[in-house]
Amino acid sequence: MSKTPLFEVENLHVSIEDKEILKGIDLTVNDGEVHALMGPNGSGKSTLAYVIAGHPDYEVTEGTIRYKGEDILEWSPDERAQKGLFLAFQYPTVIPGVSMASFLRMAVKNVREARAEEIALNGGEAKPFTPREFRKLMREKMEMLKMDDSFATRYLNEGFSGGEKKRAEILQMALLEPQLAVLDETDSGLDIDALKVVSEGVNALHDSSDMAMLLITHYQRLLNYIKPDYVHIVMDGRIVREGGPELALELEEKGYENIRKDVAAAAAGN
Amino acid sequence: MSATLTQETGFSRDAVVALSEMKNEPTWLRDARLQAWDVYESIPMPARTDEEWRRTDVRALKLGNLHPFSPNGHKEPSLESLLSGFEKGGVTDRDAQAGILVQKDAATAWAEANPALVDQGVIYCDIDTAAREHEELFKQYFMTQAVPVDFGKFEALHAALWQGGSFLYVPKGVSIEEPFRSFTTSTHPANSVFTHTLIVLEQGAEAFLVDAYGSETFEGQSLASGVVELILGKASKLRYVQMQDWGRDMWSFMTERATLASDATLNSLHVTLGSRFSKSSIGSHLQGEDALAEMLGISFADGDQFFDHHTWQLHESPYATSDLEFKTALKENARTVYSGLIKVSEGAQKTDAYQQNRNLVLSREARADSIPNLEIAANDVRCTHGATISQVVPEHIFYLQARGVPYTEAQKLIVEGFFRPVIDRIPVEEIQGFLEGAIARKVGI
Ligand SMILES: Nc1ncnc2c1ncn2[C@@H]1O[C@H](COP(=O)(O)OP(=O)(O)O)[C@@H](O)[C@H]1O
Ligand SMILES: [Mg+2]
Repeated sequence: MSKTPLFEVENLHVSIEDKEILKGIDLTVNDGEVHALMGPNGSGKSTLAYVIAGHPDYEVTEGTIRYKGEDILEWSPDERAQKGLFLAFQYPTVIPGVSMASFLRMAVKNVREARAEEIALNGGEAKPFTPREFRKLMREKMEMLKMDDSFATRYLNEGFSGGEKKRAEILQMALLEPQLAVLDETDSGLDIDALKVVSEGVNALHDSSDMAMLLITHYQRLLNYIKPDYVHIVMDGRIVREGGPELALELEEKGYENIRKDVAAAAAGN
Repeated sequence: MSATLTQETGFSRDAVVALSEMKNEPTWLRDARLQAWDVYESIPMPARTDEEWRRTDVRALKLGNLHPFSPNGHKEPSLESLLSGFEKGGVTDRDAQAGILVQKDAATAWAEANPALVDQGVIYCDIDTAAREHEELFKQYFMTQAVPVDFGKFEALHAALWQGGSFLYVPKGVSIEEPFRSFTTSTHPANSVFTHTLIVLEQGAEAFLVDAYGSETFEGQSLASGVVELILGKASKLRYVQMQDWGRDMWSFMTERATLASDATLNSLHVTLGSRFSKSSIGSHLQGEDALAEMLGISFADGDQFFDHHTWQLHESPYATSDLEFKTALKENARTVYSGLIKVSEGAQKTDAYQQNRNLVLSREARADSIPNLEIAANDVRCTHGATISQVVPEHIFYLQARGVPYTEAQKLIVEGFFRPVIDRIPVEEIQGFLEGAIARKVGI
């Protein structure tokens, strides 16, 4: 028998306000793999991201999501994050009055404590994590993402430009060290220089761990910087095509409309 | 002299006499108390038909069951034991304070002032001592200007039965950075505490005083009826912080008025956390040109607490500025009222007045009312006000949870974030730390 995959989505149907958005998604991600999920606006990409993160407004009507072999649908969002799932939001929320540094400290503390407990359960011992180490780590990661020092004292995403918000999301990912990261349109709103910096940061994290990634994007652009192992095209709540990196190039060339026609033709031919 | 414990309940002329006798007061002082008693008797109990009391029901307070004052306590062996009930609001570094006063029930239990300041003419003592040793100053300022005896029913009762309290006098040009710390506590059920703060700053003087009120929760009802008078001379600067953390039996009434001469600056913060019922009336009279009053408020109500804050920005002279920001969080069945008036007198041109009240409602059952008011008799002014009542945004909670922060901690972060802009305006770490701790306790961690 093969090893349990890191992450499996099986026949996932999701509704919001009684409207079905995802209509049977299947997706398997193994340790260290990079998957790109591409599709036109409104096809359900963010819905999938939210459901993975445990957003309470979305109702799973059928199917399962398994992480390390466990069904996660009953897990609270914080539990999912503590166990190693991460979502970089397409539209990060602004929370007034909450400073980036105090928020990050609390997030890292919770995730680290949960991880230490898990390690202890397996008979190991986690290294203690001091505030000093936290500050060091934060400085290091901010440098990597070319972020200004003042950033730590600012309120969470308040007054951040689009690019700053996206960097802030990746900074959080870098600090929380997830095992599966879902990046929802992290490339949108970034100019080419920022895109380079962010991609380098993401690649560095990926290379230094066995973190797996699900990159949500509707442009090929990001994939020039972060190379996917697999590409999935989603339309109207279903995955309609799957392939290797070459699929993204084909999509770039043909556009979504032609892919849609191909799919329709193939369906009619059956 | 034997301290007579009044076992009688209810307020009476006899109680006023008994208090004055217990304190061995001179005749003029006893007479002043009795005159105030007459004023008290002549004023009807506030009714809900009065605009200021429209949302505030005092009928459930049974004055007849209360002891009008509790006996003169003896001095405690240590400051630490006296302040044990004040948690982080207590004094962490005694040398960093300009002076410390503790009022326990009707008497002063601790009094110390930095001798170097006393040498410069600074007076920091309880009101009893002020009346005895600084009679002229007392007669000039005590309930004569900022809050006169006939201000209202509870103020008159206060004038008849005041006890302990703090008097701070800073002479011309003397500037003190370290805070004066006044603590008031109540240690009996069915108690009445009439604490008074009188601060007088002469021209160019600068001072900082922190008033902390706190007690444990006793059976039945208790009464705190406080008056605060802040007299700011020309170009003086006062930072005044009041932290109210009474036990849940307490019915608290507090009336504060500041008068600001020209170029004076007041920075005040009122923190309301405790009591069963709390009604605060907080006002600044901007009487001189270029006076500046910054008035901040933080309150957090839970359970069946009722808080009522009335604020008054009274512009009586041109070119003055007032900047008010009051924030309230509520949970469970709590109920709060904020009502604020910006009043600009005729001739107070170039007034710049700002008033903001924000409420964060954390439960379905809690209810906040906010009533901003403007009354403007000058034509060249800038007055802005705003009020909001909102709930925690679910997307905020989700975002924090998605980063591994559990629900209650996420809520705590959000409530702290709600208060943060006000906390950041208090440049005193000790108080910031106290507020953070108090908010965390209230949210329920
Ligand atoms: N909170 C919501 N309420 C109602 N409809 C929603 C909500 N979120 C998403 N939808 C709908 O679900 C569909 C998919 O949206 P989304 O997952 O955001 O797509 P994508 O990220 O691929 O652009 C869209 O038709 C959108 O209008
Ligand atoms: Mg989307």
